[in-house]
Amino acid sequence: MATLLVLILLLPLAGGVVNACFGNRLPRPVPVFIATGSVIGSFLACVGSVTAAAGDGYRLTLFTWLQSGNFTADVGLLFDPLAAVMALMVTGVASLIHLYAAGYMEEDPDQTRFFALLNLFVFAMLTIVLADNLLLLFLGWEGVGFCSYGLIGFWYSKKENADAGRKAFIVTRIGDLFFAAALLWLFALFGTIGIEVINGRAGELAGTTTVTLLALLLLLGACGKSAQLPLMTWLPDAMAGPTPVSALIHAATMVTAGVYLLCRLFPLVSLSPLAMAAIALVGVATALYAATCALAQHEIKRVLAYSTMSQVGYMFLAVGLGSVSAAMFHLITHAFFKALLFMTAGCLINLAGHENDIRRMGGMRQRSQAVFWLFSAGLVCLAGAPLTSGFFSKDLILATAFAKGDLFHQGLYGLGVLTAALTSFYCFRLAYLVFGGDFRGEELPHAPHALMLWPLLPLAVLGLGAGLLNLPHLLGGHSWLSGWLAREEDILHLSLDTEYLLVATAVGVFVLGWLAAHLRYRRFREHEPRGLRQFLLQGWNFDALFARVLVRPFRAAGRFCSHGIETGVIEGLLAGCAATCVSWGQRLRTLADGRVNHYLYGLLWGMLLIVGWFLLRAVVS
Amino acid sequence: MLATDFSILSLLLWLPVAGALVCLVTGSRAPSVPRWIALVTAVLVLVGALLLMLVHDRSGGWMLLEDRTWIEAFGIRYTLGLDGISLLLIVLTAFMQVMAVLVSWRQDKAPQVFFALLLVLETAVIGVLLALDLILFYLFWELMLIPMFFLIGIWGYERRFYAAVKFFLFTLVGSLCLLLAVIGLYLLHGAQTGVYTFALEALKQTELSAGQELLFFLCFMAAFAVKVPLFPFHSWLPDAHAEGPPAGSVDLAGLLLKTGVYGMIRFAFPLFPAAAQKFLPVLAVLALVGLFYAAWVAFSQLDIKRIVAYSSISHLGFVILGLAAWNQIAVEGSLLLMVNHAITTGGMFAAIAMIQLRTGTRDLNQLGGLWKSQPNLAAFFLLFSMASLGLPGLANFAGEILILIGVFSVKPLWALFAVGGILMSAVYTLRMVQGTLWGASCEPFDRRDLDAREWGILIPLALLVVLLGCYPQPLLDVLREPVSALLLTGGQP
Amino acid sequence: MIVPMEHLLVLATLLFVLGFSCVLVRRNLILILIGVEIMINAVGLVFIGAAALWQQVDGQIMVLLLMAITAAEVAIALALVVHLHQRKQSIDVGLFDEMRG
Repeated sequence: MATLLVLILLLPLAGGVVNACFGNRLPRPVPVFIATGSVIGSFLACVGSVTAAAGDGYRLTLFTWLQSGNFTADVGLLFDPLAAVMALMVTGVASLIHLYAAGYMEEDPDQTRFFALLNLFVFAMLTIVLADNLLLLFLGWEGVGFCSYGLIGFWYSKKENADAGRKAFIVTRIGDLFFAAALLWLFALFGTIGIEVINGRAGELAGTTTVTLLALLLLLGACGKSAQLPLMTWLPDAMAGPTPVSALIHAATMVTAGVYLLCRLFPLVSLSPLAMAAIALVGVATALYAATCALAQHEIKRVLAYSTMSQVGYMFLAVGLGSVSAAMFHLITHAFFKALLFMTAGCLINLAGHENDIRRMGGMRQRSQAVFWLFSAGLVCLAGAPLTSGFFSKDLILATAFAKGDLFHQGLYGLGVLTAALTSFYCFRLAYLVFGGDFRGEELPHAPHALMLWPLLPLAVLGLGAGLLNLPHLLGGHSWLSGWLAREEDILHLSLDTEYLLVATAVGVFVLGWLAAHLRYRRFREHEPRGLRQFLLQGWNFDALFARVLVRPFRAAGRFCSHGIETGVIEGLLAGCAATCVSWGQRLRTLADGRVNHYLYGLLWGMLLIVGWFLLRAVVS
Repeated sequence: MLATDFSILSLLLWLPVAGALVCLVTGSRAPSVPRWIALVTAVLVLVGALLLMLVHDRSGGWMLLEDRTWIEAFGIRYTLGLDGISLLLIVLTAFMQVMAVLVSWRQDKAPQVFFALLLVLETAVIGVLLALDLILFYLFWELMLIPMFFLIGIWGYERRFYAAVKFFLFTLVGSLCLLLAVIGLYLLHGAQTGVYTFALEALKQTELSAGQELLFFLCFMAAFAVKVPLFPFHSWLPDAHAEGPPAGSVDLAGLLLKTGVYGMIRFAFPLFPAAAQKFLPVLAVLALVGLFYAAWVAFSQLDIKRIVAYSSISHLGFVILGLAAWNQIAVEGSLLLMVNHAITTGGMFAAIAMIQLRTGTRDLNQLGGLWKSQPNLAAFFLLFSMASLGLPGLANFAGEILILIGVFSVKPLWALFAVGGILMSAVYTLRMVQGTLWGASCEPFDRRDLDAREWGILIPLALLVVLLGCYPQPLLDVLREPVSALLLTGGQP
Repeated sequence: MIVPMEHLLVLATLLFVLGFSCVLVRRNLILILIGVEIMINAVGLVFIGAAALWQQVDGQIMVLLLMAITAAEVAIALALVVHLHQRKQSIDVGLFDEMRG
């Protein structure tokens, strides 16, 4: 079992390292085989070892990474039900995405770099999932940040791509700082960074301000990676990367790492009602914010990016409501259908002749039936059509909020439902703009590689059917996921009437969104983005705000330090000292005029002075 | 303690000088000989140091001690001692020296003198790391200055003379303070006990009034702070780096900066523990200010060598912060970060030298898109940059996190500020990477990727960067006992 | 002692002052060198007198040393003078001010 568990991590790492070091010397398809094979191998190892995770889980310590004083950080794995579910999802989705990428990147001259980074990313993500202590988790945490940086800026010769990568790295790193601070504090409190020990002993802190502050620090850390308010501006720009990257990193896995972190430390986080409320609030606010932004986007991948942000907001809401299984349920279903959506979007972009803009698409159904059905499958899941997985997982979150009963949670429920309506609306807007009418662009289609279609089929099936994982009792299910995660308390026990009411509401908002989109976008009309539309297109102008409030002062401080203090004050002082010395030297050098007899006169006068001084002393005494 | 008549330490210490002499003698006839001699000598020293590493015992005392009378009239002795801390730094010195020789392999301007100076520099640094007699220490301390002065002044770039003189004056003023304090301490100790000696262990017993102690401590610190360099005594470093030859930069970052920190923990803190404890908060504040300030300045530079130079100042701020926390974890972290920083920065400077060789510039505005023409070189540059910005799993992070943990347990607020410093390093490092590797290609006039020699330089450095990031435990094991011994003598806060 | 020490000292002082004035006032290199010689001999005279006064041989040894050094010095100095004359066709000290600061 230990071997399998190590293989889960080691295979992607080995694949990444081999490709990074020797990939360019290997014949063309070999790096792709290595990369894809290692991830599939990792998935198989994951499947093979999943039984070990049942119940209490499986622990494995490989070696000591850092040990100093009373501080110890091991490279150790904790394979419990939560980690197992996440690892299965990550490796499974990553395998399919690697297959897709093999087709997508087939003609790229630099594909070894791509696959090396992609493998390293999978390794780092699995490290987050499997780490048994916070420092190792932090390694994965920063590792995915780096891989994401490298992959967003993969087509680096365009400056905007590289800039988007840098923005993602720096904004997420702001979040990482809070995580790091929480890590330091936790070590100071507990004398250890083991996740299980911290969770076990978290109860000691119950009711203190400390735990609230810790939970808030963790929340901010999670916000960075998961693109939640206020650290969300990087995600839309991250769409500059290749599509498989968007599917893997910015939809299925990395952006959900924040949710996973909060679930992982749930016993600690849940101790503070205030922090829980903050998590829920951040989640619902982001969900709503991103849904509004998605309404106005022109680029297909940006619509999906904002929808990702919005769905991750739902997951945060679930965590804030105290329902780990609802969060994980939505995380998994979302991973399936969002990866599907992104990858089909990649096919659509190819079919439209490398055109991103949905205003230049339309009539895409004629270009490929298969892509139409696959994309529609993803869209109905995202929009929350009844009986799709997205419907169940989103509904579980909303029902949990509703079931809490108090005004605050009712409000959250209301906002959640509003967001659901908006989601349905922008999904069908996307569908009508992409598939409705006739093709509005000029480019010829570029047929997607077969490898870009086949991996989507399992995802579509999973996306549509993953609702079975946690089917509520009402519909004859057994809430299997909650049971597996040992979170029976997350299972709702609502009266039948309430349940029906909630389901009816959910179906209602779905239909409402569809209807509105049908009326508005059945026929394409070109609109100048102006006023509110422009405001939403720009993501509420947060970029400009941050540029003004943070970036500009930072640059100014840099200029002040380097020009004001460094060259002005410090160099100035030094130059002043030097100039003083030089000017005195200039004055004194006139004394040395090179005439021997002048020097000797100096000697004579000096002697006379000394003799005179002694004579004077003799006379005085 | 291993007391032998066979003086291993002296052998190790003077071997480079012997090599330097051979360089000078042979070099005038065959210009390609000196570099081989320098390489062989540097490798021999490295092998010797590694052998010592293998056989050393970890009890925390002196592993090797060599004590001879030298100038009896003034109580000056020739005392060399080796413990875990100095051993680790000597191994580092020897390793970086090999890299420095390789980096300057194509040096064709008076190569015999160049390589001789490099080797003399190595002796001086090893001497500083071994000397336990204050006058002997001072001599080696000053000896470091001379080769470096010429290396920058003769083999540097356009403003080399300015940089060399600035370097010389800064460090000289600092060391003169040190000399005054050493003599003052000697006289005081002699007056108290009647034994006039410069031996470190004896001088530790000197009884000083609080005022005297603080004065001496500050004088010692003046010399060390300039060398580190601690804000605001840092302004010589960017010039020395920017104008110095590549090997000079590698040696500066890899060897010279370390001696400042070493001086603090070997001499300043143990000799004046009470004053040191009082001074720690000041040290921490200077370190923190330097950490942020240097990062901000680095952010506004255009010359990539200057960016790395300022990043050195910023990282050394981290190191000093760890010292200021003065507990086991933080001090071990500081020493570890010092080693890691040497390797990372050494790699950076080596890579920058190769970039400059190909593009003829170090200006961010002119560079760009290097990945297209030289993917291998660019990959190494990226790796070192990532290590420098503290990516976990690469070298610098291990030291930084230990420092942060150690500092947090003493002064949480300092640690929180320092965490912010990690973000700053990301900001300026990514800006540098952005301008160098990505974006439109700058069309280097030499489109060749790495040659065998350059692979030979970058691979060991890169391997170490990864290895020390993933498994730094052997180094921490070497440091554990010496550091706890040090913490006992250095007084408790 | 046949001659009183005081007389000897006065003579030596006079010689020294004469030599020194010569060095100060003259611009001809050769004459300056002669001035230096006179000064050295004045010093030598004091050594002799002191040796005779205290019946110590050290003074005489010093004078012997002094004579040897003077001989060497004159040899080098004259060689320099010849060299300088070759360079500027003159032995006026005013012309040799390359060491001016």
